[in-house]
Amino acid sequence: MLQASRIHFCIQKRPVVDRISLTLQAGEILAVLGPNGAGKSTLFKILSGEISCKHGDVDYNGLPVGNLNSKKLAEIRAVMPQHSAVNFPFSAQEVVELGLFSTQSKNPAKLVEEVMEATHTLHLKNSNFQHLSGGEKQRVQLARVLVQIWEQKPFPRYLLLDEPTSSLDIAQQHGVLSILRQLTQRNIGVLIILHELNLAAQYADRIALLKNGMITSCGPVQEVLQEKTLHQVFDYPIQILQHPHHGGLIVSTSKPSFQKQLIKQA
Amino acid sequence: MWTTHPYSKTRAQNLIIAGLLAILGVLGLVSLSLGAYQIPFSQLLGAILDGLGVQGVAAESQQVNVLLQIRLPRIVFATLIGGGLGVAGASLQGMFRNPLVEPGLIGVSSGSALFAVIYLVLIAGSTGLWKTMSAFGLPLFAFAGGLIHVAAVYRLSRSQGKTETSTLILAGVAINALAGALIGLTLFYADDAALRSFTFWSLGDLGGASWTKVPTALLLILIPSLFLLRDYRALNALALGEHEAFHMGVNVKQIKIKLLITTALIVGVGVSLAGMIGFIGLIVPHLIRIGFGADHRLVLPGAFLLGAILMNVADLIARLIVIPAEMPIGVVTALIGAPFFIWLIFNLNKPKR
Repeated sequence: MLQASRIHFCIQKRPVVDRISLTLQAGEILAVLGPNGAGKSTLFKILSGEISCKHGDVDYNGLPVGNLNSKKLAEIRAVMPQHSAVNFPFSAQEVVELGLFSTQSKNPAKLVEEVMEATHTLHLKNSNFQHLSGGEKQRVQLARVLVQIWEQKPFPRYLLLDEPTSSLDIAQQHGVLSILRQLTQRNIGVLIILHELNLAAQYADRIALLKNGMITSCGPVQEVLQEKTLHQVFDYPIQILQHPHHGGLIVSTSKPSFQKQLIKQA
Repeated sequence: MWTTHPYSKTRAQNLIIAGLLAILGVLGLVSLSLGAYQIPFSQLLGAILDGLGVQGVAAESQQVNVLLQIRLPRIVFATLIGGGLGVAGASLQGMFRNPLVEPGLIGVSSGSALFAVIYLVLIAGSTGLWKTMSAFGLPLFAFAGGLIHVAAVYRLSRSQGKTETSTLILAGVAINALAGALIGLTLFYADDAALRSFTFWSLGDLGGASWTKVPTALLLILIPSLFLLRDYRALNALALGEHEAFHMGVNVKQIKIKLLITTALIVGVGVSLAGMIGFIGLIVPHLIRIGFGADHRLVLPGAFLLGAILMNVADLIARLIVIPAEMPIGVVTALIGAPFFIWLIFNLNKPKR
């Protein structure tokens, strides 16, 4: 279990993360949602061990994150930050192979190929990473991160992703989330920061809503996705609808007045 | 690029390294035979065989002397110092994640030169503890100067976990100017007979090569360089960013300290032996990357070998164009390197295809 208890982090005396407690179980997807500046990325960095936090504790499988060295930590969790630039002319495959650093894979070539195939990046393997499109770069980075935890291990592990779908088209977004869904069956817990509410509704087990550095609501998807709560968190009218065919939730952000205008124009 | 299969890639990299080694070997032979005192190739072979103890090939003792006491140590020097500058440049570029970094540009070399001059003027003449360790006093002082400068530039140029290129270059310019002025000042107060000239420190000279200094170069340049080669995976990971490298399991702080100390040692000792020789550390890693990709498994040894090759070529040019005099080698490397640097600046700012 990845457990954060009462973590508190200030930047220039303003609390960016305000006494947050959070758990992530292996085998579940937890989506973290919230408006810009809610403290999502700071929370993410504290959980990943990138920032050390004076107040509160972050534990991986019962061990404090500060007591784990980078190598041990890398065996337990993989992290995909929002932006990673590469300044040298590495090929896409070389970038993916960087993920092998902490693994003791017996067949690294097969592992890399498998992950690149799953992320639809195999055809890019010989291309210069710097010349790829935004979406391609994101998928290659995802493949790099997945290589780190792809092989089965006898202990629970975690994958943290900060907006991994921001540059992807619809099909690729769903492709990525399906891969994450499959990962949960390998005893891996996934924490993902998302902006697209519908993706969270469709793939997450639980949702945590963040605003002003605090968790306003955290729980199963059906519980958290309430029109009133979402309106408060995002300061924007949001409707929750039932899908006519499969009954899943649809989050709609269209304003009635705007739609009327569209109809008039038509 | 040839990243079709990891094993064939490894093999291709090994082939490139072997190729560079072969070029270096041939160049060494050419360099032995050419110079103010020409030695034809047949006699060169004779002298080498004679040196190895093969009987029956007569060679004039004067030739053997020129070869073994003057040219050969000089080639060894050029190889070690050029190689050291190449691999140090590649490591620093990887660590700063910045292709414009070079030991000379960011002030490591001038820091080393400053401390070397201070040592020679203020300490070398004195007695006591320093006297007993005179063989290592100069290189170690140069190392300390380089380390202080590279650490200072590193701290100055970083904000929020990133290295700003413009700040980095400006910090290098400022530190170079300061160190240059202080070198001039120190030399001004030095007694002329005891010191070599300002030109030696600012433009470099391999003429001081001798077998007595070769052990220092082997111990403090070659061994640290070999030490750097093992860190290729960490340097590859660092290319993505320090946070990413940390997430992938790299002990970032440890590797950074290791890289700073090792590169400062290599560059500092090089400067103490042959003065400041610019641009080798800048050009060489780029040529390897442009030609063969960015994987540090190849870039590090490749930069060592190509650095050694370029340094030998520059030394050959410096020895040959103004016979019987010699051009300072830094003039030659700057004439090749500065236009390359300008080309690099223009191409870095161009939008990517």
